[in-house]
Amino acid sequence: MIDNTVVELSRWQFAATALYHFLFVPLTLGLSFLLAAMETVYVTTGRDIYRRMAQFWGKLFLINFALGVATGLTMEFQFGTNWSFYSSFVGDTFGAPLAIEGLMAFFMESTFVGLMVFGWERMSKAQHLIVTYLVALGSNLSAVWILVANGFMQDPQGARFNPLTMRMELTNFSDLIFNADAQSKFVHTSIAGYVTAAMFVGGISAFYMLKNRHMEIARRSFRMAALFGVLATAGVITLGDALGFIGGQAQPTKLAAMEALWKTEPAPVAFNVVAAPSQSERANLWQIQVPAGLSLLVTHSLDGTVPGADDLEKQAAERIRNGIPAVVALKRLAQDPSDAQAMAQFTAHEKDLGYGFLVQRYAPDQDASKSTPDAILQAARGTIPQVAPIFWSFRIMVGLGLLMLGYFILAVIYTLRNQVEHQRGFLRLALWSIPVPFIACEMGWLVAEIGRQPWTVYQVLPTWMSASTHSVAYMVFSLTGFVVLYSIFIAIEMYLMVRAVRAGPDADGPDAAGPQGEVAAVRAAPAPAGRLASRWEG
Amino acid sequence: MGTFARFVVYMFIAICVIVMAIILGAYGSWYFAWLIGTVMMVLIAAAGAAMLDTQEEERRRSGGS
Repeated sequence: MIDNTVVELSRWQFAATALYHFLFVPLTLGLSFLLAAMETVYVTTGRDIYRRMAQFWGKLFLINFALGVATGLTMEFQFGTNWSFYSSFVGDTFGAPLAIEGLMAFFMESTFVGLMVFGWERMSKAQHLIVTYLVALGSNLSAVWILVANGFMQDPQGARFNPLTMRMELTNFSDLIFNADAQSKFVHTSIAGYVTAAMFVGGISAFYMLKNRHMEIARRSFRMAALFGVLATAGVITLGDALGFIGGQAQPTKLAAMEALWKTEPAPVAFNVVAAPSQSERANLWQIQVPAGLSLLVTHSLDGTVPGADDLEKQAAERIRNGIPAVVALKRLAQDPSDAQAMAQFTAHEKDLGYGFLVQRYAPDQDASKSTPDAILQAARGTIPQVAPIFWSFRIMVGLGLLMLGYFILAVIYTLRNQVEHQRGFLRLALWSIPVPFIACEMGWLVAEIGRQPWTVYQVLPTWMSASTHSVAYMVFSLTGFVVLYSIFIAIEMYLMVRAVRAGPDADGPDAAGPQGEVAAVRAAPAPAGRLASRWEG
Repeated sequence: MGTFARFVVYMFIAICVIVMAIILGAYGSWYFAWLIGTVMMVLIAAAGAAMLDTQEEERRRSGGS
């Protein structure tokens, strides 16, 4: 018998570790490319200030990278320890991208990070630049493979269940990689990392400008972050739309939850800007709507309609009834793989096998063949994930995304006029906005993963069946351990970051002393900047 | 780098991009869009820094502080 408490604790443990890990990942994805941009300017212009910029931001990147790797390691092991049925069921398919991700992250990325950090004096400028680009590429390629694996969970493509081996087997690797969900989600996630890095660099640069410290580096860093950020934010929004469009077709239950759409309405469907969804009443207690908004957003047409929870539940009930014979046949095949009648029954109902699994949770003795109409109704209702957290997480993410777009447009205007250091209010806003993209990223992850429930692999394998058979005490102990350990990691990250930022770029360098020191630094720089500084001083 | 060598390098990059576009285009183009978009973002950010240097130079020439 499967213990619901163990399943819930396993979910909490994975969610907690993933949320912690995802605090580090976006910054790594984006900062690596910003470092590459800074170093590109250094190599092409020869101005030493860009080398110092790259080294300073590289130090912060390294702190974040180290803790990101530490928190990510345990997640891969959790698939085996806490989700053993899931691992055996989809391991043939899911394992390949996860293994390649391990190679990317721990071989390519980590090797080149070492070269990037320790290679400044050991390699030529061009060689070091190539290494920095490879770090950026490695970071993002490891994200590709994780999101290919995640894309399979959201919209399983390229694999088929084999009733004789009792597991999903890979049928088409290219379908797995080029899954539309994986593609759009990777780009959305990666570019969200660029936005995070741009907010981070912009915020810390603003801090220096407010303190009138390291002005030359701060102004250049802010300029680069603003331009990088505005393009990235536009990209994130574009990809968010693409992901909604693709996800809406692949996962209609998630879409219904994101939009708090309880009943199917005729086109054009209104968009709920804000609402108070009630899961028990299967309705919104109140809502503020934009007429026709949802049809336009999701179907890109005024004639398009979106299925509501009521219709989706009816479809699920039908599929559950059709899936029960598949589960019954599967049990017979487990005892006798040569049972032709059972194989024929399985083949006839195969496409709804996952729904047959789903009803076992509510059936007497967790036996699908004993399913009652009430169990089918409960299972069908359970196919609609928790609406309120998804609805609000989605709106917070979108709202913050739009705010960041406005912020970056303003940042670009100020920095292109070369007067951002005089905008004290805006600089304070930039500093205090550093957490905003991190919150938006966490919200996006919640939408994606809570929205996938009640499945680990959408319409194939229920979450309820996927967990290992640990004891409750074991799960409570390990969950507590993870939360305590990861909270310590976060505290260490914050401490190291704040210390490095306070010390500033080149703590012993020439611009540490303020504007006079900066002039000396520019004079000490290669020809063009040095000549300019001489003229400036008259 | 000589003109011919540059020609070869640029031609190689162009062929790679075209081949990737053809392969990825059959399935959807978001990976390809990421590749192109990221290069564009990096280059525009780098150009912004170079532009700031030029603005500084102009400001100093015109006697600003």
